[in-house]
Amino acid sequence: MNFELSQDHKVLQDAVRDFVNNEIKPIAMQIDEDHAIPDELVRKMAEMGFLGSYLPEEYGGAGLDMLSYAIVIEEVSKACGSSGVLISAHTSLACGPIDTFGSHEQKQKWLTPLNTGEKIGCILLTEPDAGSDAGAVTTSYRKEGDEYVVNGSKIFITNGGYLGTGVLFATSDKSLRHKGISAFIVDLQSPGISILKNENKMGIRGTYTTAFALDDVRIPAENLLGEEGQGFKIAMDTLNGGRVGIAAQALGIAEGAFERSLDYSKERKQFGKAISELQAIQFKLADMYSRIETSKLMTYKAAWMKDAKLEYSMESALCKMLASEAATYVTKEAIQIHGGYGFICDYEVERMYRDAKITEIYEGTNEVQRVVISKQLLR
Amino acid sequence: MKVLLVCEYREGKLLDTSYELVAFADTLGAEKVAVLVGDEAAVPQLDAPVYLADVALCGEYNPAVHKAAVLAAVEKEQPDYIVFSHSSYGWDLAPRVAVALKVGQVTEVVGIVDGDFEVGCCNAKMRRKVKPTTARAVLTLQAGAFAAVAPQAAPRVERLEVAIDGQGLTFVGYEAAEVKVVDLTKAEVIVTAGRGVGKKDNISLIADLAKAMGGELGASRPVVDAEWVEHSHQVGTTGQSVSPKLYVACGVSGAIQHLAGMKKSDFVVAINKDKDAPIGEMADVLVVADVLQFVPVLTAQLQG
Amino acid sequence: MKILVCIKQVPDMESRFKPAADGLWFDETDLAWRMNEYDEYAVEQAVQLKEQLGKEPELTVLSIGSDRVVEAIKKALAMGADRATHIQDAAAQQKDPWQIASIITAYAKDKDFDLIFTGMQSQDRGSAQVGVLVAELLGIASATTVVDFSFADGVVSVKRELEGGIKGLVSLQTPALVTCQLGLNVPRYPTLPNIMKAKKKEIEAIAVDSLLSEQAIAPTAQVYAPVRKGGGIVLEGDVGDMVQNLLGILKEKTAVVV
Repeated sequence: MNFELSQDHKVLQDAVRDFVNNEIKPIAMQIDEDHAIPDELVRKMAEMGFLGSYLPEEYGGAGLDMLSYAIVIEEVSKACGSSGVLISAHTSLACGPIDTFGSHEQKQKWLTPLNTGEKIGCILLTEPDAGSDAGAVTTSYRKEGDEYVVNGSKIFITNGGYLGTGVLFATSDKSLRHKGISAFIVDLQSPGISILKNENKMGIRGTYTTAFALDDVRIPAENLLGEEGQGFKIAMDTLNGGRVGIAAQALGIAEGAFERSLDYSKERKQFGKAISELQAIQFKLADMYSRIETSKLMTYKAAWMKDAKLEYSMESALCKMLASEAATYVTKEAIQIHGGYGFICDYEVERMYRDAKITEIYEGTNEVQRVVISKQLLR
Repeated sequence: MKVLLVCEYREGKLLDTSYELVAFADTLGAEKVAVLVGDEAAVPQLDAPVYLADVALCGEYNPAVHKAAVLAAVEKEQPDYIVFSHSSYGWDLAPRVAVALKVGQVTEVVGIVDGDFEVGCCNAKMRRKVKPTTARAVLTLQAGAFAAVAPQAAPRVERLEVAIDGQGLTFVGYEAAEVKVVDLTKAEVIVTAGRGVGKKDNISLIADLAKAMGGELGASRPVVDAEWVEHSHQVGTTGQSVSPKLYVACGVSGAIQHLAGMKKSDFVVAINKDKDAPIGEMADVLVVADVLQFVPVLTAQLQG
Repeated sequence: MKILVCIKQVPDMESRFKPAADGLWFDETDLAWRMNEYDEYAVEQAVQLKEQLGKEPELTVLSIGSDRVVEAIKKALAMGADRATHIQDAAAQQKDPWQIASIITAYAKDKDFDLIFTGMQSQDRGSAQVGVLVAELLGIASATTVVDFSFADGVVSVKRELEGGIKGLVSLQTPALVTCQLGLNVPRYPTLPNIMKAKKKEIEAIAVDSLLSEQAIAPTAQVYAPVRKGGGIVLEGDVGDMVQNLLGILKEKTAVVV
């Protein structure tokens, strides 16, 4: 057993860290205030290869592994949770299923512009009445000639506002529940797709979270991903990979808040000494660090299992659950360590606290993760 | 003990740092002899032999030829130490002389401790003592480490004949410094922004403090390289050397090259999160604080 | 055309340093390591030259040190070097610049490099000697402290950074060596696709014993923390209190803040 990162992973971590410190960290507060990640930053992240890290070189990806992907999101999220989830939703939820279930032609056509960042990807799964219960999708499709015609609505679509490339889930007959669902690759600039709104949110305010109306959207038959009726399976497989990305995002947010807290505790003087000399603060730091380390080990393990082509749905649920709960815990304690200063925006930990909460909710709430874990324990 | 001082000459003038070499030799209590590629009107004023190679023939920068001049003086005088300023001239020429003589070189000496040469390391966070094992040694001296002596008597000038062979290198000429927008050398108060300010937007905080103090904005090298502040504000070896009454270093770690440019300030205040930052050594007052929190409060007080 | 870039791995200068147990170097445990900043400019300039000249030049990166320095080598490969030589030496920190230069010269002497790039100095030792020593030992022209570089028809044209913002313009016939100053260019980030490509590039390993035959002539006698000069006042604590204290001191000690 070896818990040390390989030299190649260290080189990658170092390169990403340099990029983040120079290009993202200085503008992270601005991204939150503006509710937008500058296009310039998205372009730079694409040039770095952040939008196709583990995808094949043949289709414009970097050809690295899942662990590299987790490291990229972790490092980016240390500075900016919004940028972290842009990468995660794009890579895991759009590139991921096209890579796993797409044909060579589909990959050439759709994966290449996604991996190079020419298009930003998203998944269109959630609906007003189909959240954790993904089998309850009501957006419908019917076949007309060599086209599918889709009607319905989708909400909470991370990256949706870029109107790039989506992986869309719709049902041919909702009474079939899971078995009626199919997945399609869709150009979000197609006629019939309209943005209802981009949500105003508590955290990760730099990303788009978009609600769409779909009215007679005509999708060429060749855009069917996998086979008809395979949609639910595609969705579940996609979310497995996505959970590692969200775990890495949560881990990064927690680490960012921890680094600031550690520094601050050494600088801040009360009662004539640094507050880091007070046991109350020391215990907080120990508790925060233990949760971070546990989450990191599980996140890296889940990534390693995917790379080793092992069944990893248990570990992906575990790492997502552990890391997101570490993130909410650590960011809350980070504010407490900062005291009143933590509550004002200049110290950034309040932003991290707001950014952390969603990681317990999206890509499967932590309650759903517990279902996944306990089912596997009891089967 | 005998020390050969390799004096420096540029654009028709002897550089004042040559008198720092004299101070170093005096510290050792050594016999002095100097060498200069220059002209008769610009020889260093000291009571010692000065070997002069004609700059009209040798060129102001021509390392192979200047090396030959220094070696010719070494041949005649057999000095124990051959000493240069640690400057663009000295650090360029010293290793050439050292390798030709196959002697040890000690770079950027800041002092002499128990007979060994003390130099900085790790960006001045540590010190290192170096002990050359060769019979003689080449040294370069940190700018300002040995306070220049005043010019003394007229020297005994002896001419050196040097073979002119550039060995593949041609000196084309000088490019003048960009026109200085601000002249920091005359400022009474300088408030300098270092890398610790974090990003370009925060420079305004430092500029506001400078204004509130009635002074000029200075900048460290990384801040200028990142184009947060224009080059004419740069303090340090490759910027301006300043001597204000008050120097306020904000988030400046204190690289040797920066310290060399501001060490003549009368009173130094450093504001830095890192209590161990080398700038602290130079500071009359070290404020251990985050610049971004401390500076606005100070500015507000001054304005109020 | 053959190009060599010599790089060193150094600790992050933000680190806290303490002397090693033997007192001859700093303690290397718990330090973050990275490519010497000056060397990043050297690698970037060499890669830019390679891009300027098309596919033809072969760009080799060389580093001396323990297995850990392979991280810096891999970064240089990801920035665009073609191949690497790792001279394995677990005790490189004990070698003086003369020995390091001798090792590089022994490696380079029969390889006919047309251009060699180095940093102007390392951030940890700061000797600013190795590049010039290598050039002198190889008998080729060299220029130090380069802040502008161009190459055409076998002639290198550089600007050397002198004091006070003045630059010295120098041209060199190849073969030549230049030492690179900060600000020479904008070093690129290694991108993910290039990190992947770098994995397939050759890293040749050579034991240092086969290249080193020189003794140290300027060895380190001791490494230690600087003694703080007395007299400096240190203010810590509440920002408001510190501001009041500072203003009081400035009023008392300087004539400029009233």
